[in-house]
Amino acid sequence: MEPPPAGAELSAAWHALSTALVPPAALGLAASRSDSAGLLKDGDLRAALEVLRCYDLHSIVEEWFIEVLQTDLQANIAPEFWNCIGQYENTAEEPQCSLLLLDAFCLLKCRLDPYLNSLELLEKWTKAGLLLGTGAQMLQEKVYTMFKAILFFSTTKSFQEMIQQFYSRTFRIYMRQWKKGEDGMNECESSMSENEQESDTEESGGESPLCAGCSSKREECWCPKAMEQFQQLNDILRRLNLLERVSADAVTTILHRMIEERMEQRCRGEYERSFLNEFQEWIEKVIGWLSRVFLQDSPLARSTPEASNTLKRWRCHVQRFFYRIYASMRIEELFSIIRDFPESKPAVEDLKFCLERTNQRQQLLSSLKSALEMRLLHPGVNTSDIITLYISAIKALRELDPSMVILEVACEPIRKYLRTREDTVRQIVAGLTGDAEGSGDLANELSKADPVTLENGQESDDDISEPGDWVPDPVDADPGKSSSKRRSSDIISLLVSIYGSKDLFINEYRTLLADRLLHQFNYSAEREIRNVELLKLRFGEAQMHYCEVMLKDMADSRRINANIRDEEEKLPEEERPPFSLVAVILSSEFWPPLKEEKLELPEQVKEAMEAYSKKYEKLKAMRTLNWKYHLGLVSLDVELADRTLSLSVSPVHAAIILHFQTKSTWTLTELSEVLKVPVTSLKRKMTLWLQQGVLREEPQGTFTVIEEEQKDQVEKVVLIDSDEEGDSAMASQADQKEEELQLFWTYIQAMLTNLESLSLERIHSMLKMFVMTGPVVTEIDIQELQGFLQKKVRDQQLIYSGGVYRLPKNCS
Amino acid sequence: MRVKIRGWNGVASWLWVANDENCGICRMAFNGCCPDCKVPGDDCPLVWGQCSHCFHMHCILKWLNSQQVQQHCPMCRQEWKFRE
Repeated sequence: MEPPPAGAELSAAWHALSTALVPPAALGLAASRSDSAGLLKDGDLRAALEVLRCYDLHSIVEEWFIEVLQTDLQANIAPEFWNCIGQYENTAEEPQCSLLLLDAFCLLKCRLDPYLNSLELLEKWTKAGLLLGTGAQMLQEKVYTMFKAILFFSTTKSFQEMIQQFYSRTFRIYMRQWKKGEDGMNECESSMSENEQESDTEESGGESPLCAGCSSKREECWCPKAMEQFQQLNDILRRLNLLERVSADAVTTILHRMIEERMEQRCRGEYERSFLNEFQEWIEKVIGWLSRVFLQDSPLARSTPEASNTLKRWRCHVQRFFYRIYASMRIEELFSIIRDFPESKPAVEDLKFCLERTNQRQQLLSSLKSALEMRLLHPGVNTSDIITLYISAIKALRELDPSMVILEVACEPIRKYLRTREDTVRQIVAGLTGDAEGSGDLANELSKADPVTLENGQESDDDISEPGDWVPDPVDADPGKSSSKRRSSDIISLLVSIYGSKDLFINEYRTLLADRLLHQFNYSAEREIRNVELLKLRFGEAQMHYCEVMLKDMADSRRINANIRDEEEKLPEEERPPFSLVAVILSSEFWPPLKEEKLELPEQVKEAMEAYSKKYEKLKAMRTLNWKYHLGLVSLDVELADRTLSLSVSPVHAAIILHFQTKSTWTLTELSEVLKVPVTSLKRKMTLWLQQGVLREEPQGTFTVIEEEQKDQVEKVVLIDSDEEGDSAMASQADQKEEELQLFWTYIQAMLTNLESLSLERIHSMLKMFVMTGPVVTEIDIQELQGFLQKKVRDQQLIYSGGVYRLPKNCS
Repeated sequence: MRVKIRGWNGVASWLWVANDENCGICRMAFNGCCPDCKVPGDDCPLVWGQCSHCFHMHCILKWLNSQQVQQHCPMCRQEWKFRE
């Protein structure tokens, strides 16, 4: 046979090649010749390629292939596919819908399969050196990129929904099956699967007519079918290399949603157990599902490094996402967690674990700070509650961050706020001594062994015993403070340091102690001594010295009283004093300043006191007593015509009622004169006797004894000032301050005499210049000064007009 | 009406019967104690000289011990003699 002419040979070869490589429809040919393409063998095609090589045309084969593919994709395949998907809009039923999805992808695969086959062929030829290759980018990659670019450059919303629905359904079914398997393995699993049963209402037991996996009727359950479809779809997508493009988004969304949902259900508000392990297990199951999506089902494919890499990436992602979400949730709940500490310790430990893996310290700090400000630091919260929470926070955050930086930063607002509360010191001191209810914490802390002394000794960074144990401070630490100082802080030192000085605490403690000893008469000497000893360990011997002397005074007084009583008992009956007088004898220099009140006691009491003083003087040479008439406690019986009352009252009350013995009617002014007590405060004191029904006030300002109770009379309700009984025997802080300010008054008067009139600021700055630098260092801020001056204006010792202060004319 | 006092718990502070408030040697209050002492009163008593000046006992003893030749009252320079 004569060889065909060159043109014909080339044309035949091209024809053979082109029809073999692409489906005929793409070339605009009739599909009838489908038989020939399948029959062509590799050998024939190679021959055809050889012909092309002769004409140097083999280089265009690949470009041509891509060109055809692109045109086909754009013109036919993509519209067809999207058309198919578009039908979803009219399909409501889920099973049909997923069927449709699968169909669409099957069709796509059908259309693209010939190209993929040819692609393999071309690859093989390139490897064999028959083709030139397409430069740096492999032909395969080019083709896959094109699939993505043309088919899924932009996906419709409904398509995304479909994919989403499909994957979340199969996820449910998968998790369901796993659980069933697990339940089957051991029926009575731990609390975990019990909870599982609680949270998922439909349990496989069968109370619900719906299948838990596919939520359709049990008899119509399509779970197995769905899993089959799931497998098919994944295979197709893998084949087309579209898996990541199409499913990654949906899978991520599903995982995130599932983790969030599960966490909401399980963990929110539940701080008393750890969830990390439980979730770790769960995540492993999720990874199992992921491996179904991203890996071929054959065990062979699973072991390839590429596959394990993919899984590793996903596992990493899921875990990190879990840590982040979990930490966020715990951070959001941190306030409650702190409140519940130590019951919430597992939650704190979980959070610590997660924080080490996520970058959320900053989030934690700002969230906790604002939670504290919102929920704690406002006028509606008792100081003792704030202190209790602060103590919890110290404990919890110490657990969370051993470097104590979080504690330091987050709790700064609490400390700042506590500084503005007047009763903070009192509350803390009360807590320390176990007086306040619900603050046993502090008392326990105080009695802990090996306390940290608050003496500011030499503290340096290099006193850590093991250099290898050194850990750098977190980045948000305040570089100005040494880490060892921060770490060594215990609860009491933190509380005491709120004000920056321990003197304030010692003074407050002294005042409270004096109050208990003098006013309330209900103290336990042993406990007080123990407390002082414990405080001595912390604050040092010198600071607590005053308190020690106070307690010693109490013991000495008891001894002296016993001594004097013995003496009295030796006397003959008629010379004995009419009532027993017991005294608390103070070393005045060591007690806080006592409130001075004037009170004139009835003669018989004064006599008894003088007699006592005499005996004391005999006992202690060259010493005498200075009685504080208004302090103490008197127990007495009031014998009326028809009744007897036994009461314990203050000396003022006793003095009042004693006067009514001699005269049954007194006016307020008369009483005020004999008692030397101002009318206003006397009036308040009268209420006790009115309330006891011993006296009546009729008319106003005149008091008479009620000898016989009149039952038929309308009961009189007399209100007593509740704060009166709780009055402290100590001069209040305000009184003490005022005394200090009195020091300034002479300076201010001198200033105003010389300069006539001065503004508030001038007075303040001049005082600062001349007085506050002197030997007596007394600070005064401008608000205090203003208050003081205004008081002077009210007392008419100053005139204030036009923004300046002036002395009244007659004063100078 | 009759009022029977069963018991009176009073409060008093003790003080030295002295003509001054502070010790002339240590400048501390008599009712307190000398710088070497912790507890006032019995543990840190006052003593009077015949010149009628008084000091913390510990203070005046220290002073007298430091005097080489003759012992004088640090206030009035008279010869120091304890008042009985």
